[in-house]
Amino acid sequence: MSEPATPAGTPTGPREAGLSVACEGLSFWYDEGATRVQALRGVELAFAPGTSVALLGPTGSGKSTLLQLLRGLLRPDRGRVLLDGLAAGQEGYDERERRIGLVFQMPEMQLFAATCRDDVAFGPRQLGWSPAAVDEAVEGALAAVGLPADRFAARHPYSLSGGEQRRLALAGVLAMRPGTLFLDEPFVSLDPASRRDLEAILRELRGGGLGLVLATHDVDRAYALCESRVVLDAGVVVDAGPWRFGAGGEDLLLAHRLRPPFVVELWRRLGRRAAEAPPELAAAAEALAP
Amino acid sequence: MRMAVAQYYPRPSPIHRLDPRCKVVAVTAIVVGLFLRSSFAALAVYGVAAAAGLLVSGVPLGWIARGLRPVLWLLVLTFVVQLLFAPGSAFATLGPLHLSTHGLAVAGYLSLRLIVLIVVSLLLTLTTPPIALTDALAWLGRPLRRLRVPTEELALMVTIALRFIPTLLQEIDTIMKAQRARGASFNRGGPLRRARALVPVLVPLFILSFRRADELALAMEARCYQPGAPRTRLHPLRAHARDALLLVLVAGVVVLAEVL
Repeated sequence: MSEPATPAGTPTGPREAGLSVACEGLSFWYDEGATRVQALRGVELAFAPGTSVALLGPTGSGKSTLLQLLRGLLRPDRGRVLLDGLAAGQEGYDERERRIGLVFQMPEMQLFAATCRDDVAFGPRQLGWSPAAVDEAVEGALAAVGLPADRFAARHPYSLSGGEQRRLALAGVLAMRPGTLFLDEPFVSLDPASRRDLEAILRELRGGGLGLVLATHDVDRAYALCESRVVLDAGVVVDAGPWRFGAGGEDLLLAHRLRPPFVVELWRRLGRRAAEAPPELAAAAEALAP
Repeated sequence: MRMAVAQYYPRPSPIHRLDPRCKVVAVTAIVVGLFLRSSFAALAVYGVAAAAGLLVSGVPLGWIARGLRPVLWLLVLTFVVQLLFAPGSAFATLGPLHLSTHGLAVAGYLSLRLIVLIVVSLLLTLTTPPIALTDALAWLGRPLRRLRVPTEELALMVTIALRFIPTLLQEIDTIMKAQRARGASFNRGGPLRRARALVPVLVPLFILSFRRADELALAMEARCYQPGAPRTRLHPLRAHARDALLLVLVAGVVVLAEVL
């Protein structure tokens, strides 16, 4: 396990620079009693700084495992992770690993403190930041997720609604000032309004230069938020690169227990070129207006 | 997360297919027999029986060795204590310590008996799913109901507890990873600091567990669970000829050990 680096002083600026995350020949097995189950098979990927990538794949395809390996929470059985070109053990690797923010599936289940402020402050305090830096980070993170400190900081996390709890958990990760954010099924089991809120927050973060890796089944939101996508199935990267439709891209998603985004499907059924389907519904409505 | 909680090792072996009640009776008989008769000959009989059982069960030896590991220190301790402190004429003396052939025999006997004992018990838990084991114990405990011991309820409690151990381990693992991603570390500092580091794990774990217990109770009520009501089973325990054969074989082994 990596020890969190103790920063020399107050982290400066609104957000630290992005970082590139890559892996080479990454393989991983889970021990399941008497047998070993291979979760990833020689995964090769590269995420450039500040880009937003959707990690698509059916349940059990290895999305969560991949995110946890890249963040150093699991050790690869084969292959390696490269952060800004550095391998584990090299000078500066641990510090970069710390700058990958990982939001687990159902992260509200990890809330534990008596107040929202203390919960969000947990990460920054573990990093040994000065109290002033911690306060600043907490307030910034709470504001970024739409839970302003003056109204929410003193409340008990479990007094919040489900959607608010999810955003609070996101704030706990953002407070550590990540350069890139990994989200594992962030929209799962939220009501439509909470999903919209979360999507708007992620759009805002992406606009601020934060890199995003979004592991999800929600292809509509993935298409709206991400420039490119990786299709993972049975631990193998089936395809990686920009979204492509019209030339077998839909079939690729269907073949791996996914579906094309709603807008793409709409474009196809209207007899338009699916490759030109806009990522968002608003743009689609504009294009269709008489 | 590796833990020998659910030791069950699935295999399509004849031993796995035996009625769990008969297996419990057989293992009990062997364990009692082991203590009834202290002779190397009896031990050899039980040892051969245990080895035969192992062979038929198809459980790899490495897996058995893993089961023995937790009691290794007990084995070593038994051996050393008996070797040094058993009475008898010494064949070697190291200062105040006397090594006698009698001591060596006693130490060897007790250690071997312990190994046979553990292997026989492991054979039961490795070849029987925990839930089948609970069912068997509930059935065998039925006479206790006369004394108003709620055996069915106890069995259900044990079954539910066993059912949720893997779930809890999985949850602990996930929560620990999530908190590590937030900078927590669980292996730094003294005991107090380590205990404090567990708060971010234990609080969510308790909240999740209580919530799940509530939901489980409601779900059971919705399916008309009534404490103490007679239960029917999806897989009724049924004894076959092979189970009778097991009991006869084990009885033979015990008698042989007694006679020798």
